[in-house]
Amino acid sequence: MYNLFAFCATRKTVCRRAATSRLMVGFRKWYYNACGFNRLGLMRDDTINEDSDVKEAIRRLPEQVYNDRMFRLKRALDLSMKQQILPKDQWTKHEEDVHYLEPYLEEVVHERKEKEEWAKK
Amino acid sequence: MTGFRGFTHLSVSPLSLSPHCFLLSSNVVFKIHTNLLGVSKLPSGLLVASLENYSPVSKIGVFVKAGSRYETAENLGVTHILRLASNLTTKGASAFRICRGLEAVGASLSVTSSREHMVYSLDCLRDDFEGAMEYLINVTTAPDFRPWELSDLLPRVKIDKAVADQSPQIGVLEKLHEAAYKNALSNSLYCPDHMVGKISVDHLQQFFANNYTSARMALVGLGVSHAAVMKVGEQFFSTHTGFGAPGAVYRGGELRVQSGGGLVHALLACEGAVAGSAEANAFSVLQRLLGVGPHVKRGSNITSKLSQCIAKATTQPFDATAFSATYSDSGLFGVYVISQADSVINAAMAQVTAVAEGSLTADDLTRAKTQLMADYLMSLESSEGLLEELGVQVLSSGAYSSPQTVTQSIDAVTSSDVVKAAKKFDESKKTMSCYGHLANTPFVDEL
Repeated sequence: MYNLFAFCATRKTVCRRAATSRLMVGFRKWYYNACGFNRLGLMRDDTINEDSDVKEAIRRLPEQVYNDRMFRLKRALDLSMKQQILPKDQWTKHEEDVHYLEPYLEEVVHERKEKEEWAKK
Repeated sequence: MTGFRGFTHLSVSPLSLSPHCFLLSSNVVFKIHTNLLGVSKLPSGLLVASLENYSPVSKIGVFVKAGSRYETAENLGVTHILRLASNLTTKGASAFRICRGLEAVGASLSVTSSREHMVYSLDCLRDDFEGAMEYLINVTTAPDFRPWELSDLLPRVKIDKAVADQSPQIGVLEKLHEAAYKNALSNSLYCPDHMVGKISVDHLQQFFANNYTSARMALVGLGVSHAAVMKVGEQFFSTHTGFGAPGAVYRGGELRVQSGGGLVHALLACEGAVAGSAEANAFSVLQRLLGVGPHVKRGSNITSKLSQCIAKATTQPFDATAFSATYSDSGLFGVYVISQADSVINAAMAQVTAVAEGSLTADDLTRAKTQLMADYLMSLESSEGLLEELGVQVLSSGAYSSPQTVTQSIDAVTSSDVVKAAKKFDESKKTMSCYGHLANTPFVDEL
């Protein structure tokens, strides 16, 4: 069940921004918890589908952020193998979830689009 | 003579051919229409100079006092990286856009660095001046040092260093500076081995913030109107004044590098004159007197006193030229000898001593002065030479002295000045750097 919601976090859903309102905040927290990847200690950007743009963005991550990402992925794979989840106090909270990859990804996409624009001329 | 750096005129492979030198008759006069040349200083401290030569091609240079002498012990090699990083992403344009944008208008951007200055020069058609300047401004005022782009530079640093290692001339020059000075000018132009890969974004940003301030920059344009260049100059403003750098302290030492091969490259120097002083002119005339390489292709270098003297001492192949380098607060003067035998260096020194004792004829002096003037004037013929001369003069002294003034000051050198300069070489503490098969090469205290 967790995996189904994890695959939903493709790049398109990552880039959408909804207006903040009191109703939306509640809904978003519910949705985040329902996705279930936080029970494995993952953040949203850890679950992103790795296409070539994402790979380049990951290459650009600063060392510390990259190491944290690798650690979280390893831990999640280990838990998944053992068919376990983390205790509730260790689940990633919606407020703590940092979209660390987003700025790098935006930059990569922007650069690729620029190259394509130039190629058209 | 400011800007006339003997170092750049040292033929990097002395066995190659230097340009022809025509003996000028005294009637030839070189004029720059002074009403087309403008030099001014903006309130931000930026010096702006332009020469309107009505050329269809504009050439703009940004000269920054950010050469390798301003590196500190913590960031040795940062100028090498900065030189390679000049085409990387800036705040206004990505690396890709800079490259394609310049290509689209047929412009070219190049960066040169020396011990004192970093020079960014842009060539473009006059009509494309505005567009191409945007890229130059971005590169010199707002680079965005991105860690992944910098780590991609590493192979280029290694290639640069490998090419420099292959050339004994570069090696001997770098070692000479390292041996001659205690600080500042002893820094190498290349990144030292222990710093390859360790120059971080912080180093670059700090060096940039300290040295790329508008008070330390000069904006020079050829083929553009002064008003246009002033307008561009207003975009260079920064409130930093940057840190001052320590003056270079000459110490005189010796560095020897054993390597394979049958030749010995030896560079023997003493402390010379400061760029722009009358003493520097005397040293340059002395340099020409002693010889700077054949003036006739495949010729026998008859006019070079050094070659004549050494030819008497040995029959093996050799090459000897006089070497002169001037910086803003110091200089180096000496002889550069490539040889197989060991008596050559002594013979070269004996020749300079002979000049110091006054054995120079009026003919020799006139010939040397004329050669110097001709070389200087011919270097101004090309737009690169003119831009460099304009930029370095404006940056070091805030004003430009016309070629007439410069040739007059060369003419004013008397034989007693030259003898004094040779005496200075004779008596002062020498520095030597050698490279090659050093079994028979004397040490500097044995000379």
